[in-house]
Amino acid sequence: MARYTSAGYNSLVSLSSQSARVKVLFFGRLKEIVGHAEDSVDLPDGAPIEALFSHYGASHPELARFRASLVASRNQEFAAWSTPLHSGDEVAFLPPVSGG
Amino acid sequence: MLISVTNSIQPDLLALVRDPIDRDALIQHVRAAEDGAVVTFDGCVRNHSQGRRTLYLDYEAYESMALGKIREIAAHIHEKFPVHLLAIAHRLGRLEIGETSVFIAVSSAHRPAAFDACRFAIDTLKRTVPIWKKEYFEDGAVWADGEIPLAPLETWAAKPAS
Repeated sequence: MARYTSAGYNSLVSLSSQSARVKVLFFGRLKEIVGHAEDSVDLPDGAPIEALFSHYGASHPELARFRASLVASRNQEFAAWSTPLHSGDEVAFLPPVSGG
Repeated sequence: MLISVTNSIQPDLLALVRDPIDRDALIQHVRAAEDGAVVTFDGCVRNHSQGRRTLYLDYEAYESMALGKIREIAAHIHEKFPVHLLAIAHRLGRLEIGETSVFIAVSSAHRPAAFDACRFAIDTLKRTVPIWKKEYFEDGAVWADGEIPLAPLETWAAKPAS
């Protein structure tokens, strides 16, 4: 499995297979758990948002604990966890909102 | 005639800001000769939360999406209520007790639409716009219990993008 070691970059797939690079954003308490606001990840083209979240859940068990209260977005729109991801997509995991 | 034409093309004022919200400017933005009512909502930083004394708040947003969701709320209001203009501003960053975190102004020819639209705007904003509030107390800080934005998934996601 090819992996870059530079900070803020991960790869879920070998670079030789068809992959999609997506931008991942974290907000609120999720940003504090993960330790940064933004990440860039390679994953198999068409992989669902759920798989991306599992990737982070594996390395940050505390993140997985919040799964039931989170909503995902793709390209600034609320999106189902089964939504397939493609290169250039921007994904965010959104904690319960508390504006106002 | 000129005033009427000018106002019919004047857009809503929708903004995320880091400086103090100029409430008078928002009211003036929506207020026009054809309006019989301006209804406003002033969301203020309260000095207590669940029995604890609040020192200050810190707001952060997924800014591009938050602005998009505020625009959706405005578009929805124009479809649903006979209002003239809207101004919605939400402040981000550190806010002190008593400061305005969100301000909404709605104008309409007759007051019922402005009241209803203003209430709809703040209720929907609190439920659907990706903004988060961290509350600072004397003995620590917590992210506020928020609302899981299910409503847009259930109701708006089914609607074709416009």
